[in-house]
Amino acid sequence: MTKLNRWSNIFNWLAVIALAINLLMVFFYAPVELTMGNVQRIFYFHVGSAWVGAVTLGIALICGVLYLYRPKPLYDILGMASVEIGVVFVTMTIVAGSVWGRPAWNTWWTWSPRLTSITVMWLVYVAYFMLRGAVEDEQKRARFAAVYVIAAFITVIMTYVSIRLLRDIHPVVFGDAVEGVQAGAEGLQEFSGVDSIRMVLTLNVSVVAFSLLYVAWLLNRYRLQLLINRANMLKARVAARMQGDSLSVADAEEMRPATTD
Amino acid sequence: MNRSGLFWTQLRALVWKDLQIERHTKQSIGIMLMFAIVAVVTFNFALENNLGAVREVAGGLLWVTILLAGTLGLNRSFASELENRPIDAMLIAPMDRSTMFMGKVISVSLFTLAMELILIPVFIAISNKPFYRPEVLLLITLGTIGYVAAGVLVSSMAVQTRANYVLVPVLLLPLSLPVVLAAATGVAQYMGLNKPPFADVSATFALVIAYDLLMLAAGLFTYNYVVEE
Repeated sequence: MTKLNRWSNIFNWLAVIALAINLLMVFFYAPVELTMGNVQRIFYFHVGSAWVGAVTLGIALICGVLYLYRPKPLYDILGMASVEIGVVFVTMTIVAGSVWGRPAWNTWWTWSPRLTSITVMWLVYVAYFMLRGAVEDEQKRARFAAVYVIAAFITVIMTYVSIRLLRDIHPVVFGDAVEGVQAGAEGLQEFSGVDSIRMVLTLNVSVVAFSLLYVAWLLNRYRLQLLINRANMLKARVAARMQGDSLSVADAEEMRPATTD
Repeated sequence: MNRSGLFWTQLRALVWKDLQIERHTKQSIGIMLMFAIVAVVTFNFALENNLGAVREVAGGLLWVTILLAGTLGLNRSFASELENRPIDAMLIAPMDRSTMFMGKVISVSLFTLAMELILIPVFIAISNKPFYRPEVLLLITLGTIGYVAAGVLVSSMAVQTRANYVLVPVLLLPLSLPVVLAAATGVAQYMGLNKPPFADVSATFALVIAYDLLMLAAGLFTYNYVVEE
């Protein structure tokens, strides 16, 4: 636990520093975009959180597969934590995208395939918590969660594919050169010249900063889960003692929680 | 008997068992159909008996009806497993869990398709739209299979939880939205007077088929862990 505490502390600070650098770069280093102006700066947060959100949900999938292969509680906790954090990142993506969409598309929201898919993705992963909440048996909960996360990842794949197959208003950032050029021609992206290197650099720093934030949150969440487990254990012991069961004093002394880590 | 021969024999037995239950109880298809017709009538009143409005959104209404009726069919099918516990016999039998998954997907798909067989003419009558086009029927069939595949996986888990059947629509509707979205987009493209060229709708077909294959694969590989005991 102490080791975990140290690592989570280190990553907390790394994430804070990276986010601060990222913010400075977004506002002062990245150039003003030609057509969109300052509004385009949202893009770094939007793409950064979308990217990390997708990776996070991918990690949740890997944890699910690993859990089914070898049921260790660690995989379950990491999977659950990843989904929780993934949902936060996806929510950030949606909110940031919506704020960007208002000046760019003149609407907060439109049901384009990409936006539809991310909504679906959000719903699917929120439903994950409904499933977890409804299962009492711990092992069964972990198993079902692992199966569900595999099925849910299919929606992530569909999200990724849908933009390529159905026509869309949403610009393509990671992908085909042809689509990139088309979008560039519409002034949605400006990835050429000196400006573009600064933009790409800022975007990369965004992705790194959000990734560090993810690791920090993951470690904190893992620590929290260990604490929850311990608290539950202690509660059970207290309840047992309150019921005036036939525990001898020696037994009770033995069961007293360890005070040192 | 070799492995694949055994798979088919067991699969046939499982589907046959569900068909027999349906033949005797006549519940799944009956309930789904009754619900579908009630839903269609309700839509009409909700849209203020405006035939023009119904025509505009006929494809969407059809899908909503299929989805909601589909959850009823799934519920019914799993309830019959748990009433007299034929599932216990299946769990004892030396049979792959993936066979059980496929059997359930096939039988519930058959019930849902049977319901659609009556529902679609009703929709044609109300909306006067060309739902009879073979491509539309193919899209609906493919979409139904993907939906049911996700449904069987989710329902199998949901019936083992505290929330029971209530959880099915909450989990299933979001999970199946990608396939419904693609299939409904495809159906809408065929609702015009002229058939669109296949190149225009091939993407939706590809999405629906991809979803079907992925969901079936996910079910086949993970069903083992869903019905462990």
